[in-house]
Amino acid sequence: MLLEAQAVSKAFDGFLAVRGVNFEVAAGEIVGIIGPNGAGKSTLFNCLAGEASPTAGRVRFDGADVTTATPEAHARMGMARTFQIPATFTDVTILDNVMVGAFLRHPHAAEARAAATRVLDFAGLAGVAHLRAATLGTPGRKRLEIARALATEPRLLLLDEALAGLTPAEIQRAIELVREIHRRGVTLVIVEHVMEVILALAQRIIVLNHGEVIASGAPDAVVDLPEVVEAYLGRSLTPRGPAGAGAC
Amino acid sequence: MTRPAGAGPASRDALAHAVGLRRSGWRWTILAAAALAAPLLLQGAFYHRVLALVVLAAISASAWNILGGYAGQISFGHAMFFGAGAYMPAFVYTHWHAAPALGLPLGVALSLAIAAVVGVPTFRLQGHYFSMATIAVAELIRILVSNWPLLGAAVGLQGPATARTVWDLTFRGSVTYYYLFLAVLAVLLGVTAWMERSRMGYYLRAIRAGERAARSLGVPARRYKLHALMLSAAFTAVAGSLYVVMIGFIDPDSGLGILISVEMVIVTALGGAGTLFGPLLGAAILIPLQQTANALFGGGGTGFTYIFYGGVIVLLCRFEPGGLLAIWHDRVAPAFRRRSASAVRHAA
Amino acid sequence: MITAVQVLVGGLLLGAVYALFSSGLTLIWGMMNVVNFAHGDFVMAGMYLAFLAVVWLHAGPALFTLIAAALLFLFGVGVYYALIRRVMRGPIFAQLLSTFGLALLLRYTAFWIFSANFVTLPTTALTGTLRVGPIFVGAAQLVAGGVALLLTAGMHRLLTGTALGSQILAVAEDRQAAMLMGIRPDRMQALAWGLAAAAAGVAGALIATFYYISPTVGESLAIIAFVVVAFGGFGSVPGAMVAGILVGLIEATSAFYIGPVYKDVVVYALFVAILWVRPQGLMGERV
Repeated sequence: MLLEAQAVSKAFDGFLAVRGVNFEVAAGEIVGIIGPNGAGKSTLFNCLAGEASPTAGRVRFDGADVTTATPEAHARMGMARTFQIPATFTDVTILDNVMVGAFLRHPHAAEARAAATRVLDFAGLAGVAHLRAATLGTPGRKRLEIARALATEPRLLLLDEALAGLTPAEIQRAIELVREIHRRGVTLVIVEHVMEVILALAQRIIVLNHGEVIASGAPDAVVDLPEVVEAYLGRSLTPRGPAGAGAC
Repeated sequence: MTRPAGAGPASRDALAHAVGLRRSGWRWTILAAAALAAPLLLQGAFYHRVLALVVLAAISASAWNILGGYAGQISFGHAMFFGAGAYMPAFVYTHWHAAPALGLPLGVALSLAIAAVVGVPTFRLQGHYFSMATIAVAELIRILVSNWPLLGAAVGLQGPATARTVWDLTFRGSVTYYYLFLAVLAVLLGVTAWMERSRMGYYLRAIRAGERAARSLGVPARRYKLHALMLSAAFTAVAGSLYVVMIGFIDPDSGLGILISVEMVIVTALGGAGTLFGPLLGAAILIPLQQTANALFGGGGTGFTYIFYGGVIVLLCRFEPGGLLAIWHDRVAPAFRRRSASAVRHAA
Repeated sequence: MITAVQVLVGGLLLGAVYALFSSGLTLIWGMMNVVNFAHGDFVMAGMYLAFLAVVWLHAGPALFTLIAAALLFLFGVGVYYALIRRVMRGPIFAQLLSTFGLALLLRYTAFWIFSANFVTLPTTALTGTLRVGPIFVGAAQLVAGGVALLLTAGMHRLLTGTALGSQILAVAEDRQAAMLMGIRPDRMQALAWGLAAAAAGVAGALIATFYYISPTVGESLAIIAFVVVAFGGFGSVPGAMVAGILVGLIEATSAFYIGPVYKDVVVYALFVAILWVRPQGLMGERV
């Protein structure tokens, strides 16, 4: 198991945002986390990524206990993440953005630059390397975030709604990028709202609602479970024949 | 700022990058030559004194810039480091009859200790805490020193009237000080330039641009902020020592007052925080203005100077936080480039 | 023994005033993550406005306090729309510097107009000392403390008990969600700035009745506000209330037992200690 969450709970001022979540990711998997708004996905994500400390439970990465480890320690150990609202360094060039990630494994500027350039090539951003990140639109920034996280040479990449707000064409390109990342041996945990993405990428998904895991399994099987459909307010999640499209 | 994305822009950019570096090398050489020749071009005690004060302000501001400009951690109390550096040489001379030069490393050590007290607890919190702490600790130190007879209380301490050895750092006229300060500035700029291109520079800029994201990429933010603070505090202390050996005298107002902190901030912010050249530009503009105002209006000028500084800071923050250099790069220079590019196109 | 109580009462009353202006600072900080480095100078402005109201309009304490409150309310709202709103969207560097620049503007404009000499308010209905049991209390201090306590409690009630208050708090809690509920964050934030500035103005007007008024008084008052806010907990108005009074007590005790010169030093050292030991303050969350 590369990543394990054991009975993770997180409370804010008495409100339990995440309750006793158990969750495992094996090396080489792509696992999706879905759930309606307020289900606790972001909170769980932050607990996994080290930005928040669970109030109960443990998080293990490759056997090591990272429950209270700092975000920078997570990165050093090989877990990288992106942010739901892109947090690119806007006044810094795109290359320099990625170099910050590359410096984790390459302390010298020349090597870091070379590594960053390779990542930019891989992510399709080589042409704009010397522009300021502020010039990118949302899809570009999301792509840059992924590239930057990749530069830290992670074994596990946590994507937080990295494909939200993209046009269908952009979504296809992004799915391709994520698939390519997976092919290169990176394990992925994806939090997503866009069902098309989850169904296309995830081998296995867990569904959160009110901070608890209410279902898990293969995407096709899970999305039609009554509890899951109900959690999304009775809407059918995948387009089917007239029989399934009725409830709305 | 739009650029055509066409065939081969990456190589064109790389070329522009390299040419830019070569060109900036020339610019620095010209600047250095001008700086070395300045006292010969501007003769007279008044000009020499202003030149020395400009370089001194450039040193303080460049030191502040490492922490405030590059790392984005705003200190409003840097006077405490300046004062530590300024009081030590006078102290060792007054109480131990030692050469003021001895006070320099002691001042640096003291300022590092103060820096640790302020930075260690606050760098794990959000940035506002650090800024507030710098104001509080600087004031605390100023009050303590103002009431401590050992440090001259409100009257202050003096340095040697005449030089016993060269280590007394007591020279006649301002020119020797000017070149001494220039040497120190060169060292500081060299260190900053090296830092800028190294991992530390990238990490500090990342911390400034977004500490949360930086940490997620493995940047040990707290550690690097402390490094930046130490470097900044040390060089500010050196600036303080240089000040006291030139002026020959230090008291709580001239060494620890908030106006000293303000000057470092405005000089850097006006020129362009986070750039190598910004503090130099700011110093070259503001110090001669300030000295001229003092000469013309006497003490009454000081009230208005700080209204002016406050106004400039507010305007900069509201419209162009990058200072004059950013105004140049983003607004003025592209206009020239566009014009020359179209000229080339028409010529071809 | 009587003297100790005397000292404590004085500290408590002044502390209530500290609580009043500090709650404004903590409200803004909690709401928009902006620390108003000019807050001490807002108080200073309140002091001078009170002074001018007395000198030009022969205003009594109630009137000049009202004037200070109203003018500073407008000023606070104006500062929000003219400066803060833009600056909040930009780099943090500019956010931190902008209110500092404002502080300089206010402070040195006052310096330019009034010069460095301090002034005091001409005698008003509040001069004189009252005797409460075995203790003597300055009438001005008593009124100041009492009014400050009432207003701070009122501010807390406004925030927690009224519709408007909950709108303000909603924006503080989650801007996006508040927008979805139809609340205009800009309006609420401007209102918060107005309230905070007004509170500072009132505090200034109240202190003006027994304090020396000078342009640089804002420097030390700002630091007191920082200490109170850190002590009380980031963003917590009730925390600021309690902490303000505690700081007033600590200051008064230090002034009496160590000496007036060092009372500030003790409070500032307390600040550093809080940062080292318990930065979330009394009522804040783990920072």
